[in-house]
Amino acid sequence: MTEVRPGREVVVAGVGLHPFGRFREKDLSTLALGAVVPALEDAGVEWKDIPIAYFGHVYYQGMSLGETTLSKLGLTGVPIVNVENACSSGSTAFWQAYWGIATGLYDLALAFGAEKVPRGPVTVTAEDSPDRYIGGDHMMAGYALRSRRYMEDTGAPPEALAQVSVKARQNAALNPYAHRKDIYTVEEVLQSRLVADPLTLYQCCPTSEGAAAAVLCSRDALSRYGIAEERAVTVAAAVLTSGRYNGQGADHSAFSPYRTEPAALKAYEMSGLGPEDVDLVQVHDAATIGELQQLEALHLVPFGEAWQAAVEGRTALSGDIPTNTDGGLLAMGHPFGASGIRMIHETVTQLRGEAGPRQVASPKVGLAQCSGAGDVTTVHILTKQ
Amino acid sequence: MAESVDSNRLKITNEGAPEGTLIGFRCRDCATHVFGPATFCQSCTSSALEPADLGGIGTLYSYTIVRIPPAGWPGQVPYVLGQVELPSGPQVLAEVIECDYAELRIGLPVELALQAVPAEGGGPDKLVYKWKPSPAVADNDG
Repeated sequence: MTEVRPGREVVVAGVGLHPFGRFREKDLSTLALGAVVPALEDAGVEWKDIPIAYFGHVYYQGMSLGETTLSKLGLTGVPIVNVENACSSGSTAFWQAYWGIATGLYDLALAFGAEKVPRGPVTVTAEDSPDRYIGGDHMMAGYALRSRRYMEDTGAPPEALAQVSVKARQNAALNPYAHRKDIYTVEEVLQSRLVADPLTLYQCCPTSEGAAAAVLCSRDALSRYGIAEERAVTVAAAVLTSGRYNGQGADHSAFSPYRTEPAALKAYEMSGLGPEDVDLVQVHDAATIGELQQLEALHLVPFGEAWQAAVEGRTALSGDIPTNTDGGLLAMGHPFGASGIRMIHETVTQLRGEAGPRQVASPKVGLAQCSGAGDVTTVHILTKQ
Repeated sequence: MAESVDSNRLKITNEGAPEGTLIGFRCRDCATHVFGPATFCQSCTSSALEPADLGGIGTLYSYTIVRIPPAGWPGQVPYVLGQVELPSGPQVLAEVIECDYAELRIGLPVELALQAVPAEGGGPDKLVYKWKPSPAVADNDG
């Protein structure tokens, strides 16, 4: 399965983010443009320069939302693709933009994602599904099942899982774009309302609204568009996978913790880099257990030991595996279509050295991993010299 | 008369009792068992599938007590959700009933328990597959 062949070198030329939170007064298009316009400005290009755009979003809020959103910037006639891949919709849009350029079809591309997620527990099946009677279609219950099993298998105490949330809030407190910025203690996390034992409310990401965008360019076309080379961040690997049979036939990805491993191995192969080269990482921490298991699946810590890394502070901004440096899903919040590109935004910002008070010391390699229901996984590795 | 919540996953064998069995498919090429509907094998992609009776016993692989239910949940709150491993391999998610929270543990042997649940929007009740602790092998750590 080694069919990943890098083509032309692709860079991220610009990124933009609309704050995450709740914005009743704004429709989805308004949120999206709140990220797209800053990304275009950051890259130093205009909408009329963009030959292709990919839009990640999940909840149905009308047909062809990518087209109706971008029409407000001017009707330029370019192809616009709407992408739905659950919580990985945004990162899938980014992946498509990457491959559109790497294969030589385009020199420049826009990837963006936006969402207004309804409040309440997230389900993945259709409303008339028998699963509504069976009670298993509940994202956080799935993460709770994983938590229980992980704690049994590894000896991780509840405090170790709670520490993931505490660290997320500490990072988010340094990030003006985050949905949740107030800091909690381990005790407060464990004493918050139980959602599904052992997961408490503060160990589950908030459902949110927000948007993120990235402009990608082939390195050899940067000068033609007048894009500054020194702020460009190289995309060293772009991998998208679906589920592989794991012997359990489990109902959906929330129950299959290590789906990320095949995507990670492919990304390391594609980039020529290994886990030892990664200076910072963004992973899919929809619940605290997610961060721990993703770090293990990415081979950044041995299997069963991520909880110790969390307790020892290794995943904090000052640690050797700074993780979810902007607050992650747990504190940034989780507007599905936007989250994958939000991770790219944070990685680019850190690699450029522009992350302000949450800046990690001199990072050269950043990894962004995003999961989605239906066993979707994306892994992107970004580098900057 | 109540009907199976999903006739591709639960076959009613005695409507009076009610009793039933979980069903799926077995791959003739790689022997993998799949719970529920399938046309091709999830493991090896073969189309040589034969219907299989997956029985009604298993062990708890993991469990959680759901305090905030998903939309449309017609049962009691809180409820216990079990991730149950069948002897033939597949895992089946369903509510665990008739159990004390204190007896819940990974490895607990469980058996199928069918419950009639009123259908959303009317019509025949749905017979929903659930799990309950299996007393016959309660000392076996599975």
